[in-house]
Amino acid sequence: MAYRTYLMVCAGTGCVANQSMKIKEAFEKELEKRKLQNEVSVVTTGCNGFCGVGPIMVVQPDGIFYQLLKVSDIPLLVEEHLIKGRPVKKFMYIPGEKEPPIPKMRDIDFFKKQMLIALRNRGLIDPEKIEEYIARGGYSALAKALTEMTPDGVLDEIKKSGLRGRGGGGFPTGVKWETMRKVPGDKRYVICNADEGDPGAFMDRSIIESDPHAVIEGMLIGAYAMGSSDGYVYIRNEYPIALERLKKATGQAREFGLLGENIFGTDFKFDIKITRGAGAFVCGESTALMASIEGRPGEPRAKYIHTVEKGLYDSPTCLNNVETWANVPQIILKGAKWFTSIGTGDVTHDPWGGSKGTKVFSLTGKVVNTGLVEVPMGITLKEIIFDIGGGIKDGKRIKTVQTGGPSGGFIPESMLDLPVDYDELTKVGSMMGSGGMIVADEDNCVVDMAKYFLTFTQEESCGKCTPCREGTKRMLDILENITVGKGTEEDLELLEELSNMVVESSLCALGGSAPNPVLTSLKYFRDEYLVHVRDKKCPAHACRQLNVYTIEEEKCATVGHGCDMCKKSCPDYAIMGEPKKAHYIDQMKCHKCGACFDVCNFKAIKIE
Amino acid sequence: MVTVNIDGKNVEVLEETSILKAAESAGIWIPTLCYSELFEPYGVCRLCTVEVIRGKRSRLVTSCNYPVREGLTVLTNSDKVKWIRKLIMELTYSRWPNVPVVKDMAAALGVSEPRFKSLEQDLAPDACILCGNCVNICRDVVKASVLSFEGIGIGRKVVLPYNEQSETCIVCGACAQVCPTGHIKIKSLEKERGALQDWYLGPKTAINIPTLQAVPRVPIIDEKSCIKMQTGGCGVCSTYCEPEAINYEAKDEEIEIEVGQILITTGYQTIDLKQMSQYGYGRLDDVYSSLEFEHMLNSTGPTGGTILCKDGSEPRAVGIVHCIGSRDENFHKYCSRVCCMYALKFAHLVKDRTPAEVYQFYIDMRAFGKGYEEFYKRLLDEGVNMIRGKVAEISEGYLNNGDKPYLNIKCEDTLIGKFREIPVDMVILCPAIEPQFDASNIKKIFSISQSPDKFFLERHPKLDPVSTMTDGVFIAGCAQGPKDIPDSVAQASAAAARILSLISLGEVAVDPIKAEVMDEYCSGCRMCNSLCPYSAISFQEEKKISYINDMLCKGCGTCVSACPASAIIGKGFTDKQILAELEGILSV
Amino acid sequence: MEQEEKEFNPKIVAFLCNWCTYTGADLAGVSRLKSSPCVRIIRVMCSGRVDPSFVIKAFKQGADGVFIGGCHIGDCHYSEGNYKTLRRVEFMKIFLEEFGIDPRRLRLEWISASEGDKYAATTLDFEKQIRELGPIQLVEV
Repeated sequence: MAYRTYLMVCAGTGCVANQSMKIKEAFEKELEKRKLQNEVSVVTTGCNGFCGVGPIMVVQPDGIFYQLLKVSDIPLLVEEHLIKGRPVKKFMYIPGEKEPPIPKMRDIDFFKKQMLIALRNRGLIDPEKIEEYIARGGYSALAKALTEMTPDGVLDEIKKSGLRGRGGGGFPTGVKWETMRKVPGDKRYVICNADEGDPGAFMDRSIIESDPHAVIEGMLIGAYAMGSSDGYVYIRNEYPIALERLKKATGQAREFGLLGENIFGTDFKFDIKITRGAGAFVCGESTALMASIEGRPGEPRAKYIHTVEKGLYDSPTCLNNVETWANVPQIILKGAKWFTSIGTGDVTHDPWGGSKGTKVFSLTGKVVNTGLVEVPMGITLKEIIFDIGGGIKDGKRIKTVQTGGPSGGFIPESMLDLPVDYDELTKVGSMMGSGGMIVADEDNCVVDMAKYFLTFTQEESCGKCTPCREGTKRMLDILENITVGKGTEEDLELLEELSNMVVESSLCALGGSAPNPVLTSLKYFRDEYLVHVRDKKCPAHACRQLNVYTIEEEKCATVGHGCDMCKKSCPDYAIMGEPKKAHYIDQMKCHKCGACFDVCNFKAIKIE
Repeated sequence: MVTVNIDGKNVEVLEETSILKAAESAGIWIPTLCYSELFEPYGVCRLCTVEVIRGKRSRLVTSCNYPVREGLTVLTNSDKVKWIRKLIMELTYSRWPNVPVVKDMAAALGVSEPRFKSLEQDLAPDACILCGNCVNICRDVVKASVLSFEGIGIGRKVVLPYNEQSETCIVCGACAQVCPTGHIKIKSLEKERGALQDWYLGPKTAINIPTLQAVPRVPIIDEKSCIKMQTGGCGVCSTYCEPEAINYEAKDEEIEIEVGQILITTGYQTIDLKQMSQYGYGRLDDVYSSLEFEHMLNSTGPTGGTILCKDGSEPRAVGIVHCIGSRDENFHKYCSRVCCMYALKFAHLVKDRTPAEVYQFYIDMRAFGKGYEEFYKRLLDEGVNMIRGKVAEISEGYLNNGDKPYLNIKCEDTLIGKFREIPVDMVILCPAIEPQFDASNIKKIFSISQSPDKFFLERHPKLDPVSTMTDGVFIAGCAQGPKDIPDSVAQASAAAARILSLISLGEVAVDPIKAEVMDEYCSGCRMCNSLCPYSAISFQEEKKISYINDMLCKGCGTCVSACPASAIIGKGFTDKQILAELEGILSV
Repeated sequence: MEQEEKEFNPKIVAFLCNWCTYTGADLAGVSRLKSSPCVRIIRVMCSGRVDPSFVIKAFKQGADGVFIGGCHIGDCHYSEGNYKTLRRVEFMKIFLEEFGIDPRRLRLEWISASEGDKYAATTLDFEKQIRELGPIQLVEV
């Protein structure tokens, strides 16, 4: 049945958490009440990426974008937009104060500069319906591969496309597939790594939630090229919606004969098993992930013999990230030439020669528009942060952008013109990683942020090898000392030496990249460290133990009239003073928790 | 074979050899704390890091698991490698400063004072350094996978699952063997459970020669403690045995042999001394059973024949206690016959080998055999103290605090009519000889009888002491009753002669006691057919009567009394004979 | 003569299995144990050979008691002859009652070859019982 209007309600994890399913129900109820159920259809879609303004709904075919919806808004919206045909301005996206709202999705800056390949179906289809995926051209790449191309042809196409691993390493996918294809062995596996462990990153989750069949199709094509018939998807159990959709998608694909024996009437057979990860960060490392699938503790092993030769159950195994797999069908369908037209460098002779296609980033931190963005390789950081991200919140100054998740590095403001591709990011000491991008402004302390990331990697270290287990902990101890004012300049030397050692001698990439935030921050923000160790001050006031809290007596007495709030909030009873008179802080007792600063409504408390 | 260049030396090794091994063959030392040849390199201590150069690329790898390739250049001692090792060692040393292997390695790598202060520092000299050897050997070699790591990151530690003694642990001790710091200890639970293993004379390996007098003198594999047989792991011995003589497949098997006659000589066991707690066996050190002491006296035994207490000192006085469990209303009423004489022998040997005083505690001295009484006399002349009386208790006593405890024997000396307490360093108990614990099974198998003391019963105590109620089954030795070696030999010879006489005869005369069907009376009711325990009665279809197979019939007569037509006669025990007998005995 | 008439010397017929009770009786003798002198032994190969008619015949011939000795259950030299005996004796006791004979005059005991003492004790006990029951009195029909 055709409808005149479709309401595309976002059902990504972010929007679901903001009650988007309740909104969907409210719409359905309201439409029934108004007898519009035969004219208007409510569709749940995958993540739109603009999670900061969820719940999101897009009215198609007009493309009107509504944000921050509440259940109580629905009757009004139905009345105005669907019956009277007047889009409701107050639910639209407003780019800034005093600026007019933008009704259409494609006009919003956040979406304007994006280029969708891996996420091309986001917001357009119901991810739980295979028919909708097929209607958007899904599985035609598989059909093309199976019926018109040889496995070598597929391999060649991927090689020529210059596709590189989107999980962070940036290893040329074509080269990996080719090596795997050459290794003898009947039993061979392809694995999709959906164990996205970086804090704040949700690219993989979003792809699976909005377009699970793209991943399945990519795996099918890969399996065909590499002669495999067994696939695994290793997905975190903390992604319940993604897991559910993936289960549904594999079930539907099996029903449609797209998984199983004799796919498309050929001899090719392939099926996918879903393995759930228990949330260990290290299980995103390929060997640890395989150990986990095999039922052993998730610990990495030395990769001197590559997993494409001896991986899962000691058989040849090709592991790629969700996003890599999702790119594959489009390359097959549109050709390597189209793919190489996007991005940087030249990959015709050297597969490491450039970065092609797009990359999904999760843009977070102090930017106006946070969310998931897919951008072509070679776009500058500035474009991402200022054009798509809408600049820094509250008009503050950007200090640094951290890319690549907890194992990535800090890139200073001076380098914002850096084009985003694998090699450029690595050159400055950071990395593409799986696509985390955290923007920090002048209120953020680099030492504190480095400490935060190292705390994460240190806690997630499996503890197998000495440098990572002991080294990261000692590094953290030193950073801890610096942030509480016990650091010395020698500590910085030692920290740098330790960092380099951990990078050089760790068993796996977790340890090998864990010191990156420390190393890059030491490289670009050494001054800030020196202020911490020499003057025992934190310029951003983020390291609270280095702060000195004082009360501006005059302001407290005249503006605040000695409101006593700070005194009540102080857990150390360090604040003295009578009501209606100026208060003061006993520095001997103060433990620098900052509670008084947070409660003072008159900004009478100063930090030095 | 590939050629690699290690520190400027060209080394030719097999392909896939690790750099560590290649370096070893070239005499180059590479430090390591977690490497063992017994399992796949784990590669976690990272001390064996070396620099490899292939073409223009130089990288750091761990030499224990990096396979050599043709044309590889390896630097084991470059500045970078030295720096890495030193720093790793600093980290390790700062955490476990008192572990000897760590200390030694730190000294070897020139680390004296670490620049870090580890918050997780463990000062124990036997701390676990997380090398993973125990976990790896348990999983890869033993294949029991009992030990594992718990926790991640800095909180990692080796544990038993749920910190409980695991049922899958076969207590092979491999983990303790490979532990470089002695963190893993194997604790004996035997004493806690109140029972010491019989004959415990120290730990035995899984491959051993059972006794020093074993014939043939070849080692056997103890199935219960062999890892290979328990879990399918290990198999290390077969890699060391050059003639490939080790066969894990060989198993105990049952073989059926058809024989005409059987001689049962299943022997005896000694009474379980632990049930008599007053003598302290299994509880007190230096209380031995006579067989254990005999083992000690053996010149090829554990002490080489020297008489020593468990602490290694020579005993100052030795007590030998007779009749433990024999001639005792609570256990066995009979005399075990051999104890008096071997006790005298012990006394003689103790006197001979040590200056110790010897006390014999006896009820009656039974020196009954040829030359025995003379030996007894000789011992009295040697100055052995003979005390007639039963020992009441053996307990530990202390002369001074801190001194070695002595054993105090409490007894009544019936000859002087006084209670006495005699301090000794060593006690030898003479346990009663009793039938094997499974003698009643043997009895059932062969349809023979046991006398009330549970030894096998002979057909006639005087006239036929070696045969049994079952034809063709003979008994000899201590299975028939306690006896010493000459008596056993004599009885066994007699039994052998009996068996041989039948063999030489070539045929056996069987009792003519058989049942027979009188065809003319049999009505073919078939009642007898199902009664016969030997299935000797069959029904002849053509004659419609039953028929008894003479060879199968044992002559019990059950069918005879069951036949309603009295058509079966039991030869030798016919109705007529029995009734006549009845009449006869009742006529008087 | 009169005195002799008064003194009751019971006649006890014992059917003893060759392998157990008969040997047990022998053991009792060898061991110099006092067993009942009233017992007159008939050896049979197995207690299963004891035909009920033998028991009736014995009583008819003037026996005051009949004793049947077999191997312990499960120990029968012929595997299961004593089970048959057990069944027959239970059955016979009912019959004896119908014949006017006190069933206590028939006794079945399992005595193994090693139980000389049990043989002695059992026969003495049986003799005592028969003495209490008095001489058998059968009515000629």
